[in-house]
Amino acid sequence: MITLRRVVAVLALLSIPLLLLIGGALLVGSAPVSPRAVLRILTGAHTGGPEATVILDLRLPRVIVAALAGAGLAVAGAAFQAITRNPLADPSILGVTSGAAFGVVLAQLVGFALTPLHALGLTAFAFVGALLAAGAVFLIARTNGALPIQTLLLAGVIVGLFFSAAITLLISLADVNRLGGVIHWLLGNLSALSRPTLLLFAALLAIGVGLILTQTRQLNLLLLGEESALQLGVDAERVKRQIFIGASLTTAVVVTFTGPIGFVGLIVPHTIRLLFGGDHRLLIPASLVAGAAFLLFADTVARNIIAPSEMAVGVVTAFSGAPFFVYLLRTRYRSLP
Amino acid sequence: MTASGLGMRDQKFGNRDPGFGMRTPNPEPRTPNCVSAISMVSAISLLFVLALVSSAWGQAFTMRDMVGRELRLSHPPQRIISLVPSVTEIIFALGGEETLVGVTDFCDFPPAAKQKPKVGSMLDPSLEIIVASRPDVVVATDSGNRKETMAEIERLGIPVFIINPNNLGELMTAIAKLGELTGRKEAATPLIAGLTHRVDRVVQAVRPSPRPKVLYVLWSEPLIVPGRDSHLSELIELAGGANVTASDPHSYPRYSLEALITRAPEVIVLAQHGTGKTPRSKARWEVLDIPAIRNGRVHAVDGNIFHRIGPRMVDGLELLARLFHPEAFR
Repeated sequence: MITLRRVVAVLALLSIPLLLLIGGALLVGSAPVSPRAVLRILTGAHTGGPEATVILDLRLPRVIVAALAGAGLAVAGAAFQAITRNPLADPSILGVTSGAAFGVVLAQLVGFALTPLHALGLTAFAFVGALLAAGAVFLIARTNGALPIQTLLLAGVIVGLFFSAAITLLISLADVNRLGGVIHWLLGNLSALSRPTLLLFAALLAIGVGLILTQTRQLNLLLLGEESALQLGVDAERVKRQIFIGASLTTAVVVTFTGPIGFVGLIVPHTIRLLFGGDHRLLIPASLVAGAAFLLFADTVARNIIAPSEMAVGVVTAFSGAPFFVYLLRTRYRSLP
Repeated sequence: MTASGLGMRDQKFGNRDPGFGMRTPNPEPRTPNCVSAISMVSAISLLFVLALVSSAWGQAFTMRDMVGRELRLSHPPQRIISLVPSVTEIIFALGGEETLVGVTDFCDFPPAAKQKPKVGSMLDPSLEIIVASRPDVVVATDSGNRKETMAEIERLGIPVFIINPNNLGELMTAIAKLGELTGRKEAATPLIAGLTHRVDRVVQAVRPSPRPKVLYVLWSEPLIVPGRDSHLSELIELAGGANVTASDPHSYPRYSLEALITRAPEVIVLAQHGTGKTPRSKARWEVLDIPAIRNGRVHAVDGNIFHRIGPRMVDGLELLARLFHPEAFR
């Protein structure tokens, strides 16, 4: 069995690349700021001027956004995989991301912007969209109380396609001048958020992730089978409902503040599982740290590869995630029902 | 915007110095009168500094952009970033290009604009580069740039000046505004007068002729055409044509080919994007049995001239008039 010491050790180990990436991401960008200047700005030795603005108001908040979004997506992925008992479940593959995106586009066209107050409205729309999509997928896929892997994936694809079409419908009704903004967001783009908006993002994410993190022990017991879980005092339905809501909320929050970014919830928990095993008390917190590092890495690539223009980070995650999905499908899950 | 203007004032004092370097006439070193010379020099410098401060206060720069928002700077802007190709064209036409410290990747006219530092695309410029270029003001448009970008730039303490002309009249306003912004007012007046004169000449020339039915194609797949509120509909009318899609209530509606064929256009103008010399889309039209095709009146034009609301739009107007009424320009 797993000990607290092991959890702490693994988290400490994973924090090393995360911290290195944070440092690296702060050093590179389209505006030339020397590493020395970055250090002086971060330590407060140098204040004011355009260089300080670049580091403190653009790069630092963006690094935080990337880390938060990556952490959220990875945890949501691990959570969906746990309650569906499907190793390929991920918010984007299950169509939940598309559902949330539909909610956000609808809210954007109604007039919500990404200011703190409006962001609450956007998140509400996204959450409803995510719940609708996830609920539909579960209802479609459920067969005799179980969720067969293939049926679940197909249901996810269908629901995802449906919501993509709904988004296309909204776009064709939209005013031309708003389109640039909507499409830009739809590609999955991270950008620096103002301090109040960033705080709201972190707070909402904490709620979603908290709902999942508090149930990791119960998730382990669920894997023994719902009957055994019940004998051990775990209300399986209640746990699953809470995880379902937590994962949908987490996905919705990330989609609201960064746009639909795929595959993070697939790659990260898988890698953690391969490296450290499937105990949820370790898997979920470790996915949180590794997810932050992965998306931060992807965003730093996206930010710099075609500077001064920027690539959408969703492109980078898809380019790494799609081959990974194929690899899993062809090697590890070939023989599954 | 006000607060940022104030913030910039402090920063700019140190940099802005026409003649500032001359304030200390080199004191003769090692003379017995050294001390008094130094004190005199410092007194003179103090006077110069005071004069500079008061002149800077006196020069406080205030004007409104095209959506009525007030721009307040401590001095006339000397470092401007343009996020709009048409704005870049206007600033060059005014001879104010020295103030331009950044343009978009799409700013390719006049050719000299390509030499200006690039800040990225219209939809997704690099905020880092914008901040690092220390602009006094960023010029943007609310049709083409994202609202989110503008909000971000303002959050970072840089004022945004909006230029959004939607027709020829507003183009003249835009030129006047940019003339004032770049300190080239004296160039704006003759530029506007010249353009207005050329527009009048076209209108006079085409007046006697009957108006051919014109289809303007902004984009062929999907088929996008100019509607009622598009400046292109205005250009077509002024050039003596009758735009067959002018009644559509949207600015840039998507149309079906069927609906267009039934309107039997007599002239088709295909906007080209990019540099391709033989437009592929032309072939798609040539199989149709409509008057414009039968009479060989399908013309490919450079979309940039027509879609950027800048001085070249009048070139576009003259070109359209010649295409619609070759007889009037013989």
